[in-house]
Amino acid sequence: MYEILAQILRFVLVAFIYVFLYNIVKIMILELRGNIGNSEITNAKLEMQNIIYNLYTYTTLGRAEDNDIRIENQYVSSKHAAIYKRGRKFFLEDLKSTNGTFLNGKRIKKPVVLRNGDVIKVGEVELKFLLDKR
Amino acid sequence: MDYDERIEIALLNSIYIIGVVAFFLLAVYKSPISLNPIYIAFGFGFTVTIFYYLIKKFFPKGDIYIFLILSFLTEIGLIMIYRINSELALKQVEWIAIGMILFMASIFFFRFYEGIRKHYQVLLVLIILLFLVTLLFGTEKFGSKNWIVVGNFSFQPSELIKILFVMMVSEILTRDKTKKGILKVVGITLISLFFLVLQKDLGSAFLFYMTALIMIFVATSNLLYTMFGFLGLIFSGYMGFILFDHVKVRVAAWLNPWLDVPGRSYQIVQSLFAIGYGGFFGTGLGLGHPEYIPAVYTDFIFSAICEEFGFLGAVAIVIVYFIICYRGLRVSLKCREEVYSYIALGLISMFGLQVFTIIGGVIKLIPLTGVTLPFVSYGGTSMVMSFITFGIIKYISELGVEDLWEKENEIYKLS
Repeated sequence: MYEILAQILRFVLVAFIYVFLYNIVKIMILELRGNIGNSEITNAKLEMQNIIYNLYTYTTLGRAEDNDIRIENQYVSSKHAAIYKRGRKFFLEDLKSTNGTFLNGKRIKKPVVLRNGDVIKVGEVELKFLLDKR
Repeated sequence: MDYDERIEIALLNSIYIIGVVAFFLLAVYKSPISLNPIYIAFGFGFTVTIFYYLIKKFFPKGDIYIFLILSFLTEIGLIMIYRINSELALKQVEWIAIGMILFMASIFFFRFYEGIRKHYQVLLVLIILLFLVTLLFGTEKFGSKNWIVVGNFSFQPSELIKILFVMMVSEILTRDKTKKGILKVVGITLISLFFLVLQKDLGSAFLFYMTALIMIFVATSNLLYTMFGFLGLIFSGYMGFILFDHVKVRVAAWLNPWLDVPGRSYQIVQSLFAIGYGGFFGTGLGLGHPEYIPAVYTDFIFSAICEEFGFLGAVAIVIVYFIICYRGLRVSLKCREEVYSYIALGLISMFGLQVFTIIGGVIKLIPLTGVTLPFVSYGGTSMVMSFITFGIIKYISELGVEDLWEKENEIYKLS
């Protein structure tokens, strides 16, 4: 009796080992293609000079062309800062900019958690973080 | 829910299902039905879930999949160990829990490494101290004098030295990539090899040597050093063959195991029989005969997996190890700080080489050396230190750059 059970269930076991493997490989492929959620629009927005920008799972701020949000100001570095979502929280990280990134007046060193209404200062430009709680 | 989160849930689900199916089988395996396996299955699933959410909550940056992949491997190991010896499995459960706690602790505490980097010579002192302690107070187990036994608790210092060694080599290579720096690395490697050879732990000696070689190559990209390194490896391998009797025995058993089946090559022959008996789909859990293989729950656990999960299951395990190495190298490549990049590289090479050495050994690809299969074999030190290794890698992955992608941003004006 046990033998029959074990011989049937061995296929189930091997099948689920491969299901596990399939999912890891899927992650790898997504990462290599580069769209593991980094370009999904989130429920947070950023207000800069009366314009509202949508935030992605990973959003870069800076002066260079290829940033998600371009800030034209001489005190802004080409890749200045990034805002990203982890779990339900949004983090602000300084990407080793020359003049630093400020959150509510304080210069940040490590990634910090953002709250609704926080004021981010990049170079001379002030941005307001808006979290839409739905 | 995000797309990547959905995949994580799918990974967790397959871990649960494999656990429940396998431990259900083990519960009805022997005639008085035992409920212990069921408790283990639910306990394991529960522990993994708790730690997964804790890691997501407290360390949301970096590579989260590493933890899930490691849980999968420990689960496969736990199933095999329970099937071979149910008492050892209960101990293994404790080690896994301690390992996962230390995984999180090392993610948290590794940030203080930055503080001791100025006094990195401490690492060398620690390495030599640990080697001396092993040499003086070590006990011989399984042919190598590399165990420290205090009461009924035994510990293998060489597992800890592996991590310290990688850190030390990374520190030197970050500071100095000229000949002087390389000579320092060679010096430290030779000191370690000297002690490891005294302990007759030649498997670890090979791991240390190759890791140092890989790290020097990556840091300098100098083919000449690498060539010298390989020449040195061939030379020292030959010296080992001449000087040590048990190396001769192992090599002879590797070249032709059928000459002395009941004697010298008993282990490898039993392992090969088990692998052959498994076939493509395996015999089914509980229907093989892993008890014929000596040291089956430590070094030879891969043969038992081959036998009962079959070729397909064993290949899946090998692929999982490949993917772990891929993820580790990815962490190393993405890290912006040189020294952490080297540490991640060194740790993952050490890990990958160890897996290669033992899997290669039991399938008779290379001569057999006694190292454990990390996360799968039974053994407290190996389990705990492997989890700490990956805690460090997880911490380094948090330092890494995120991928920057070009995409269109929708802009709309405030009305």
